[in-house]
Amino acid sequence: MAIAGDHQAELNKAGANVSSRWGSVAFYIRRYPLGAIGALIFAVFVLTAIFAPLLTGFDPTSTNAKASLARPGAAGHHLGADFMGRDMFSRIIYGARISLAVGIGSTLLSCIFGVTIGLTSGYFGGWYDLIVQRVIDIMQSLPLLVMALVMAASLGPSLSNTIIAIAIPSIPNIARIIRSNTLQLREMPYVEAARAVGMGELSIAIRHVLPNTIAPLIVLGTAQLGSAILTEASLSFLGLGIPEPHPSWGRMLSESAAEYVRTAPWLVIFPGIAISLAVFGTNLLGDALRDILDPRQRT
Amino acid sequence: MGVYILRRFGLMLLTLFGMSVLIFVMLRLVPGNISDILFESAGLVNPAEKKKIEAELGLDQPIIVQYWRWVSGLSRGDLGYAYVSEKPAIDEILPRIPITAKLASMALFFSVLFGVPLGVISAVKQNSPIDYLLRIVSLSGLSLPSFWLGLLILMGFVNYFGWIPIYSKPPDSFWTEVGLLAIPAAAVGFRSSALVMRLTRSSMLEVLRQDYIRTARSKGASNMAVNFKHALRNAVLPVVTIIGIEAAFLIGGLIVTETVFNIPGVARFLVEAIRWRDYPIVQNLVMFIAVVVVVINFLVDMAYAMLDPRIKYED
Amino acid sequence: MALKKRAVLAMSAVAVIAAATSIGSSGALAQTAATPKQGGTLRIYHRDNPPSASVHEESTVSTNLPFMAIYNNLVIYDQTKPVNSAETIVPDLADSWAWDATNTKLTFKLHPGVKWHDGQPFTAKDVKCTWDKIAGKDKDSFRKNPRQIWYQNVKDIEVNGELEATFVLTRPQPALLAMLASGYSPVYPCHISTRDMRTKPVGTGPFKFVEFKQNESVLLKKNPDYFKVGKPYVDAIEMRIIANRSTRLLAFQAGEFDMTFSQDITIPLLKDMKSQAPKAICDITPQYVHRNLMVNRESAPFNDPKLRRALALAIDRKTFIDILTEGKGDIGGTMLPLPEGQWGMPPEELAKMAGYSNFEANLAEAQKIMGELGYSADKPLKVKVSTRNIAIYRDPGVILIDQLKKIFVDAELEVVDTTIWHAKAARKDYTLGMNLTGMSVDDPDAVLYENYACKSERNYTQYCNADVDKMIDAQSQELDKEKRKKLVWAIEQKLNDDLARPVIYHPRDATCWHPHVKGFVQHQNSIYNNWRLEDVWLDK
Repeated sequence: MAIAGDHQAELNKAGANVSSRWGSVAFYIRRYPLGAIGALIFAVFVLTAIFAPLLTGFDPTSTNAKASLARPGAAGHHLGADFMGRDMFSRIIYGARISLAVGIGSTLLSCIFGVTIGLTSGYFGGWYDLIVQRVIDIMQSLPLLVMALVMAASLGPSLSNTIIAIAIPSIPNIARIIRSNTLQLREMPYVEAARAVGMGELSIAIRHVLPNTIAPLIVLGTAQLGSAILTEASLSFLGLGIPEPHPSWGRMLSESAAEYVRTAPWLVIFPGIAISLAVFGTNLLGDALRDILDPRQRT
Repeated sequence: MGVYILRRFGLMLLTLFGMSVLIFVMLRLVPGNISDILFESAGLVNPAEKKKIEAELGLDQPIIVQYWRWVSGLSRGDLGYAYVSEKPAIDEILPRIPITAKLASMALFFSVLFGVPLGVISAVKQNSPIDYLLRIVSLSGLSLPSFWLGLLILMGFVNYFGWIPIYSKPPDSFWTEVGLLAIPAAAVGFRSSALVMRLTRSSMLEVLRQDYIRTARSKGASNMAVNFKHALRNAVLPVVTIIGIEAAFLIGGLIVTETVFNIPGVARFLVEAIRWRDYPIVQNLVMFIAVVVVVINFLVDMAYAMLDPRIKYED
Repeated sequence: MALKKRAVLAMSAVAVIAAATSIGSSGALAQTAATPKQGGTLRIYHRDNPPSASVHEESTVSTNLPFMAIYNNLVIYDQTKPVNSAETIVPDLADSWAWDATNTKLTFKLHPGVKWHDGQPFTAKDVKCTWDKIAGKDKDSFRKNPRQIWYQNVKDIEVNGELEATFVLTRPQPALLAMLASGYSPVYPCHISTRDMRTKPVGTGPFKFVEFKQNESVLLKKNPDYFKVGKPYVDAIEMRIIANRSTRLLAFQAGEFDMTFSQDITIPLLKDMKSQAPKAICDITPQYVHRNLMVNRESAPFNDPKLRRALALAIDRKTFIDILTEGKGDIGGTMLPLPEGQWGMPPEELAKMAGYSNFEANLAEAQKIMGELGYSADKPLKVKVSTRNIAIYRDPGVILIDQLKKIFVDAELEVVDTTIWHAKAARKDYTLGMNLTGMSVDDPDAVLYENYACKSERNYTQYCNADVDKMIDAQSQELDKEKRKKLVWAIEQKLNDDLARPVIYHPRDATCWHPHVKGFVQHQNSIYNNWRLEDVWLDK
């Protein structure tokens, strides 16, 4: 609802020709060229993850003594091979799945908890809100990476644990923003009206407040996606990220690869580019979405 | 106002208390303790001797007793003994703080030096090619894994200068130290300057849209004057806030950078201590970080309250 | 006395040159000719934080490398000879030693006038104290005591005056001397507590302890009163801990350090070293830390001997070696393979080991067994391979999983936090495990008791076979080396048949130093014994 409304307002304001759907797409591309580039990168990233098996003939986990440290282009290895002879191209392609799983998994998890906590504490207030706020204060008094490190160490190394270890420290930020958004919405005339008509508090919260938090949530979510991918990379670098044999970009460029930085720079450069590009695309897209969806922060 | 300060101060103490409980419990959820690690390094499994070590370190006590020992020690200024080095924890932590503090302040200096002016330029020239360029550069600063950047920097230095900018011996003068820390500080500062730039840009834009700016312009004030005198002055408050918070949070980025550049600061030490399950070091170091963050937040809030009359103290 | 020492030195120089040509290591050794220069600081990078400075309490080269130079042993493997053997054991604190007629009493005559770094005199009492602590007879006991089993036959240490100590054994054990000559067997002072030995150790050795900053550095300085007159040559040793491998490699190549950590350069990395620091001398030596498989024989599915046999046949050892060491590793049993290993099996013995030769035929047989057990490519056996979350453990794990696909085993790598690895193994909470086992002395007593004897604390897999225990005891008492070898090889065959802890391969790695470092010899059949550093000098 909110999105549709904003779209329309945006289009009307610009006086764009909005007769067709494609026309509006073209308008957005002109209006937000960087965002469009970001969307394109993001789309490539997602499609790569989905269609990974179709894009490469190599199994990303299969080792081959003969291909150890193969140069890019040698023996069908477009991006070379690591010291165990595993094809870099297929590892990067499959790595997109892992990064996306970490990014989306931890973002969804933190958004679900963040929204539930932020919405309820903002809407209902009272003791509950006070306690939630203190807990958020406590969790925010440590840098995210430190928190994620301790979490990752407690949970042990695995894909799902890494997702959880990144998601939990991200909850407070989301909860806090959703809460302040809810506080504003609670005072809105239509909420008062709904209350006057005798609607239950819970259904007001779900029907009227929740939909209006979607716009800020999308903005927060895209920012979170990029930072989750980077956090995973840092955890992997510190030896606490996603374990073998999952081809995680973060670990690919930090362990058993960084050592070869001078003889086999492709082992370090390609996964680094993959991470940076994916995060860069998501960030560009996030900026544009913020401009479109969150008029108060429009630039 | 006095009541407000008192209230905020009380909340600050409450947060720190909460943090102490949280980190204490979290650490004990981590599988394995120091005796496991010690035995691991000796490649042994002998339950009886392991029990002996646990008893020696007080790890066999109920968790609430352990917590009380720690907190009551803290209140007397006694941080306990580090498990690995068997020295007072304070002697392990304190000497490592200055180097991290220096690194952080240099990184912060870089981020303000580049972030603020570039943010202003970007805002003033909104939607021009230079704005796009600056936005792309700043976004890429937020997109590069910092250890990757650090590694590429090291490789570049060794390749082209035959010299490696890492901390491999204690510096003998102030300037060698500055030279040593400048490169890692720039690597960390790149990211924070991107943050500062983006924030400066958006708050500048907001201010530039305000009526009084338009008025100033219509009265014939020059562009330069308007941009720097009127607009920046008003945009600076949120920027100062983010710099304050960023200062405390820099330590996250420093963990990785200190590892790559081999700088013996607290950030890297924390990771090692977590790996060794050296509770006295981790607990106290985490508390130290939390104190820094919370105090900076408190000071920022105070500054806000004094500078911005619109803040309601009842919140 | 002085004469005798010089003779030993001259002899060892000849031996070094001979060894260098016969073994064909990188020519680093033919450098003893020049006269050593005094002075300078030897800078070595360290890979991780040593758990403590007390050599007796640790079993990692991370402690031996920085701290061995503080101490002396009774006897020591000649630091200048690359291969450790009974013939290269030379005097250290003991000027001479002799067995009695029953081969159960070993008497050491100690060097007179030796002082601890704090000025206290060294006497036979210190010898007794040290081995009493290991035996657990001293009140001030060690916190960890990993090598107690080495001295299981030592009944008592008799002190005869200030300068004579006798080890009294319950039965003949010729290997005792080999273990006493290891870098793991320093003499500790009676008057310093075990706790202080962990944090600020005192020894009689060529270097004095200055400081140990956690995760940062270890500093040693020359002991001017060292009893071996004229040694050591360098004024100080500075070791800096650099946890990140790419950083430390770059730092060595940039000339920040004189030497790498022991065997820090893997074979695939050697190319990088050759191109980036072409003058550096890199000595490739066996690690004596073999990669092996732990098989849980007590629970399904590997309680089935047929399945275990299929597994034994399916390990393609050569591929492991090709991938992980570019063909430089060695195939062998639990003892270090020939030529460096003193107890390695000759080819005809190796060929008798199940799964060690004719891989294609083995694989076909393994596939047939798997087929009979009802497994196929469409209906694979699903198992987990557990290993520690460290690259040197994970990498072979990845290859193993790849190989198991061929015998219809769909394996998944389960990475275990490194702190709970041994505890998990002790609980038998695994199906297959990829493991590393390190040996410090190339002698069957040190290797076999520790890893395969029923009562050993370090026998993680809790493999216990009364027959094997008897065989181990038998070889331990055998005085004739050739006969002892035969007994050891029979044990190897038995261990392999039982799939006790099947050995996959023995890796090799390189230690590198810049050419101005002289007088350093990396031992070929142990990485733990060559860090006294009293013969090292800097030609700068």
